[in-house]
This record gives sequence, structure tokens and C-alpha cells, in this order.
Amino acid sequence: MNTKTELVVIGAGPGGIQAAVTAAKFGVDVTLIDSSFVPGGQYYKQLPKEFLKDNKNHLHKKAEFLFTELKRSSVHVFMNSVAWGIFHNPKSGLWQVKLQCNNCSSQIEAPIIIIATGAYDRSIAFPGWNLPGVMTAGAAQTMIKNQGILPGKRALLSGSGPLQLAAAANLVDAGAEVIAVLECGSRLLRKGISHIPAVWGQWGRMHEGLGYAGTLVKAKVPYKLGWSVIKAMGNEKVEEVVIAKVDEIGKPIKGSIQTHDVDALIVGYGLTPSTEFFRLLNCEMKFSPSEGIYIPDRNEYFETSLPGIFAVGDCAGIGGAELAMVEAKITAKRIAWKLGHVSNDQSFKIESSEIRALKKEQRFAKMLGQVFTIPQGLFKLAEEDTIICRCEQVTLSEVNKAISYGAQSVTDIKTITRSGMGNCQGRTCGTILAQILAAELGKPVETSQFLNIRPPVHPLLIEQIEENAQPEVTG
Amino acid sequence: MRITNSSSKHSIRKRGRSVDILINQHKVTAFEGELVSTVLHAEGIRTFDRKHKTGNSSGIYCGMGICYECLVTIDGVPNIRACQTPVENMMVIETSDGNKS
Repeated sequence: MNTKTELVVIGAGPGGIQAAVTAAKFGVDVTLIDSSFVPGGQYYKQLPKEFLKDNKNHLHKKAEFLFTELKRSSVHVFMNSVAWGIFHNPKSGLWQVKLQCNNCSSQIEAPIIIIATGAYDRSIAFPGWNLPGVMTAGAAQTMIKNQGILPGKRALLSGSGPLQLAAAANLVDAGAEVIAVLECGSRLLRKGISHIPAVWGQWGRMHEGLGYAGTLVKAKVPYKLGWSVIKAMGNEKVEEVVIAKVDEIGKPIKGSIQTHDVDALIVGYGLTPSTEFFRLLNCEMKFSPSEGIYIPDRNEYFETSLPGIFAVGDCAGIGGAELAMVEAKITAKRIAWKLGHVSNDQSFKIESSEIRALKKEQRFAKMLGQVFTIPQGLFKLAEEDTIICRCEQVTLSEVNKAISYGAQSVTDIKTITRSGMGNCQGRTCGTILAQILAAELGKPVETSQFLNIRPPVHPLLIEQIEENAQPEVTG
Repeated sequence: MRITNSSSKHSIRKRGRSVDILINQHKVTAFEGELVSTVLHAEGIRTFDRKHKTGNSSGIYCGMGICYECLVTIDGVPNIRACQTPVENMMVIETSDGNKS
């Protein structure tokens, strides 16, 4: 079944919801789509609705406000709905979003699409990273905060950035023994000093960060700067981790190596934007050093190189929920004007308060990106038999063989080895392949390019595709 | 392990209604709102799936439906992401090692 609307927003996280409710306020007919059961995305994740009773006050005030606004708005919300492709319909001139869901149409057409697909944990490959019990900081957070289930009794965290502090504090609070939190950046303070203006005014965030730090100090959890996990071991699941101090380029320092017994290893090396739709649509992309990947090029209204395709929030570069919401407001207003819902030319302009908010959040995101970087040496932890592509079980030696055959881009490696061709479609190994190739060829990582993507962007049941394939009858 | 430490801010005071499910032919009690992935984890199961090519074990990794490492068979349908599937009463869940246990 085909339906038409004015605006489709893909992703019901902070950015997507804000964009949808703002556009709806201006009178735009909006459809909001998300694959989860409840709106909120990863950052404003709500408890399952079956838990909600008697578990109030678990949310940020801002999230509560946003959800109330969404409820009161005219936005059509489709949850548990996977958007698996965006195509251009040359007949109608509209964008076509393909969906897999139970109670909505299988495609929606609209002149304008906002992509707000967020981000997911960035991985690095080390021996044993594919053992069960090794999980991302995001997975651990969901397990604790959303499900009330403990990831492990004895955990170690390794990675980069403030998210793992949050995960560590939550683990302690939930009753786990946390052996250490390893931060691979060694020069945080030196790098951080020049960014004091970026932190100034971020009181909410500083308060939150200090709260986590306080929990860790109280539990006497060591926070080790310039350390990283280098290996995980165990029979069918993680039982031991090997950690080491790393030098400035990220090479493990001999003599510093320690082994710890654990039943959970939580890894979080920053975030990777979900750029699948931009790659599918062939939007113009640019390389972003802080995430180590290509992100879509956008104008001041966050429109990509394709007219009508907008991008807000982390999917277009990691900036956090606050930045996503500021971007969303500006985008939504622009779209309302484009669609003719705002007649007065003055009212669609970006206000100076919005520019200030935007600058403030951009400064903070830039600071995080520059302070918490992954030193190159950590991309070389994998050994010959380490799995790089988990879905297709491709090892480092197979990837290296492909490079020796003359692979010049990650897509070449994919063609030769199947790495990135499995169920996750390169979401996990894509950035790792780029780093391996660049290091092997002695070139900057941007020369590795990015994995091409084909629809569906998530695996589907074949019946779903058949249902969608409506043969065109032309007379 | 479900978090029961009541002083924890993450202790969930009330879960959904209790449901009976079968995990690898064993009857287990879970609660509505819980995910297949976290129920299996709470039951001590770490290996959800085995890779065809190598036989390597895989389980919860990303926890948000991205990585496809937590695939299980639910009510006879294979390759379902455990982390994206809430439990339901009478649900039959099988892991790759299910028929061996």
C-alpha cells in the first residue's frame, strides 16, 4: 500500500522527534518512523511500556517534555517499523521510503525526508573481540538501564570518551565489581586545556560527568589513562582480558601487560554515525577525522546535496542529543517554509539564539572529537587469525591477502573477501577495514573510501520484498 | 542476573506480567517487557549463535540491532535478533547449541 505525506522523518531519537513536532507545529503533515517499540532512540531510551508503571522519573526532564509534545502533536508515528530503502520516484518526483512493519503501509512518498538515524558504538578489532561477553558500552547501558539486568559480575571497561564513564558508574551502581576503566587517550589534560571555552556553560553535562566520577571514586575503581585492552581470551566466552599501557601512538608498552579475570568486557571507542541512507542515495560525502568516516555534506539548513533529503543529529556527525535538537528545529522551520506553510519570509530565518545554541553544541562536539581520539596503534592489535568481519568470519590474514592482490578501497576488500557483505552490511567492520587498508598502504585513512551500500539496508524476509514488488503495468 | 539491589537507581521495581517461555526445551519464567537477549543472558547463556563458516560462538555485542550477532530461532523462525525481540508468553526460543544441551 502506498501513502503520501509531506515529510517523512526516519528515526525517533531526540533529533527526529524534535524535527517532527516542530514541523507539525507549522502545519506540515509529518510521518515519523522508528524500528523500536517506543520513541526515544538510544539516548532518550524509554523503559519498555510493560515496565513503565511504578518506574516513573527515570527520564531526563527534556525527554519527558519531548515525548509529551510528540503525544500532543499531529505527527503520525509508526514504531516497530524498519525503513529499508529510500528511492526517487521519477513519475511523481517524490522520495519513496520503503518500510517493513505490521500496521503501516509498505511505502510512503513525500517531497521531503529527514534522516535522523543516529549512531552506534564504534568498534576496534583485537584478538578475542568476537567472544560472547565482550559487548559495547551501548549494549551494557541498555541491559542495565532499560532491562535491569547485569551484564557481568566482574567487568572491565576499555575505550575512549565519556560514555564509558557512564556505563562504568551504572555497573557499579547495579552491584557489579568494576576492575578498571581504561581510557586509551593519554594526553587528555594537555589536549583538554585549550578546550576550556567549549566546556564553559555545559553545566548540565559537567554535573552528570562529576556524578559518574564520584560513583567511581567512591567504589575505588581505577581510571587508567593511556591504557587499553589488547586481547580477550576464554573458552566460548570471555574469561580473561589482557590490558596494557599504550604509548602516544597507541602501541602497547612491553612490561606493562596485566591479565585480569572477568566475565564481561565492555568496549566503547566512540560512536559511528549511521550513514547507510546517505551512501545508498549517493549524497555527496566528506571525510570527518574525529569519527574516521565519511559523513554527508550539508548546507546551513542541514540539507544534503540531494534536494529534499535533510540530515539531523549524530547520523551526520557525532554531536549529541542537544545538537541534534537544535539542528532539528532549524531544519523543520526551513522545511515548513519550503512547503509553503510559512508565508512570512522573516519567520523561517535562523534566529540568533539558535545560532548561539548551535555554536555552543558544535564547540563541545569538536572538543570531544579532538580530546578523545583513538591512537593509530590500537588499529593494529588484530593478529593474523583475528576475525575482522564478524558476519562473514573474515580474518585479518584474508584482508591482508586482498590488499596484496591490489585492493585500493574498502569496497575492493569487500569484493575479494566478502568482508562487509554479511547481515550487518559492514556497520561493524567498515571503519576497521578502512584503518587496516590505510595502514598497510601507508596512506591517510580517507583514501580507503567507504563501503557502498545496497537496499535493503537491513536484512528482510523475502516475503516482505515480494509484497513490495508491485509490477508496473504500462499501456 | 536481574538487578535486585534495591538501593540501585537502576533497580526496576516493577517488570511486566510474568510469562512462561521455553529456552532450548527448558521452561523459564520471564517478564513482559524483557528482551529475548537479556533473558538468555540472565539465564547464563552466552552463546546464542554459531557461525556457519567457523563454528565460532557469538552472542550479545551491540545490543541495538546493528550487528546481528545475537541471532536465535524463535517459534521455529531462524535468524531473529534476540536484542530486538521482546519475550511473549509461550514463546519457544532455541539457540544454536540448543539441541545439544
